[in-house]
Amino acid sequence: MRPATTNVKTLKIDGRDLSGRQEETILEVARQNGIFIPRLCEMEGLTDVGACRMCLVEIKGQNRLLPACVTAVEEGMEVTTDSERLQNYRRMILELLFTERNHVCSVCVSNGHCEMQMLAQRLGITHVHFPYRYPKEEVDASHDRFVIDHNRCILCTRCVRVCDEIEGAHTWDITGRGIDAQVITDLNEPWGSSETCTGCGKCVHVCPTGALFEKGRSVAEMLKRRQFLPYLTMMREENE
Amino acid sequence: MITLTSLPLAEADQEFLDKVIAQRGGRPGALLGILGKAQDHQPRKFLPRETLEYIAAKTDTPLARIFSVVTFYALFNLEPQGKNTICICRGTACHTRGSRELLESLMFKLGFHDPDDEMADKISLNTNDGKYTIRTVACFGQCALAPVVEVNHEVYGHMNEQTLQRELEHLGRETAKK
Ligand code: SF4
Ligand code: SF4
Ligand code: FES
Ligand code: FES
Repeated sequence: MRPATTNVKTLKIDGRDLSGRQEETILEVARQNGIFIPRLCEMEGLTDVGACRMCLVEIKGQNRLLPACVTAVEEGMEVTTDSERLQNYRRMILELLFTERNHVCSVCVSNGHCEMQMLAQRLGITHVHFPYRYPKEEVDASHDRFVIDHNRCILCTRCVRVCDEIEGAHTWDITGRGIDAQVITDLNEPWGSSETCTGCGKCVHVCPTGALFEKGRSVAEMLKRRQFLPYLTMMREENE
Repeated sequence: MITLTSLPLAEADQEFLDKVIAQRGGRPGALLGILGKAQDHQPRKFLPRETLEYIAAKTDTPLARIFSVVTFYALFNLEPQGKNTICICRGTACHTRGSRELLESLMFKLGFHDPDDEMADKISLNTNDGKYTIRTVACFGQCALAPVVEVNHEVYGHMNEQTLQRELEHLGRETAKK
């Protein structure tokens, strides 16, 4: 049980009167109450980094849009999670993500199960208004059981965080900056020769796209299991 | 893709690193300082794979984290640096006063022909004979002197091809003497 002194904040999200604990984010409180806010980098059980900007929301009295996954709830806050302005921003962010690497859904292992594809459909994106970059990214299939296809990576860093925070291996990290940024394993070695990877597969299952997948999966066959994460976190908290 | 250079760590180098880590280890932000010292200590001013692995093990830092840090900050070199470093400013002021031509002719003279390299926004190239490193920066903060070129940490303003050629010949003679 939480101590009775827990500070509770009351706020409005999309006109509904809600409450959350002071350390909770807008995204968490919205989720508990069945209000959908799009997200790509955020994931229950991992630290929040605010990397993708999909979760931008409007807050009354503030001109700036704020990322719901890293903004704590405040007393009297009035949040809007959906508006034309927000839809436009979200669409633009997604379109830019699609142009940055090579997302060819029709041949992707995650076709039909991809978080990015799902958000695009939800926002009614049928085509992209920016030129595609068509970079030549590598595919590393050196691991016994898993593959990373950098062409589909959106640099959300979920793999980096789950491997560090939950598995404790810290096999992944990000190299470079800006358009040159990439996820790497160890000292930028083939994943298969990594000394730190335990082969647990957590990174594969939290990856929102088809960038990380299991060997032997063909188009649309890569179903990701996410349930383990809240479960693991809950069990650990109980043991503390 | 960036690859690391292999160079086994001598015992004396290990002792040096142990000392640096003992002085700084544990403090937040210590890693940057340790890596910086390690690079300064290396005669060719770079961080070989073995050095990174040693620092990772001794400071309990994940390998991937180390690689992330040394590729994020431009000050770290992963390849042995040339005996002479020529750094050409590619800032706006220097660009409008001809720094692209200076860079192109320098690269040509030192045997680099890849046009992709010329287009890159940050260049760090080493000649195979280990004599020269060519770099670019975004601005030296000396725009009034544009175009600016730094040769072995000395700043030359109003650089032109003739002066650069003369400098290059001078460096060639000096390096041959050593
Ligand atoms: S399989 Fe597990 S240990 Fe290996 S990289 Fe993925 S999360 Fe880390
Ligand atoms: S590999 Fe997947 S989980 Fe990792 S950063 Fe890329 S998209 Fe995110
Ligand atoms: S979900 Fe909030 S920034 Fe990615
Ligand atoms: S642009 Fe070259 S010194 Fe500023």
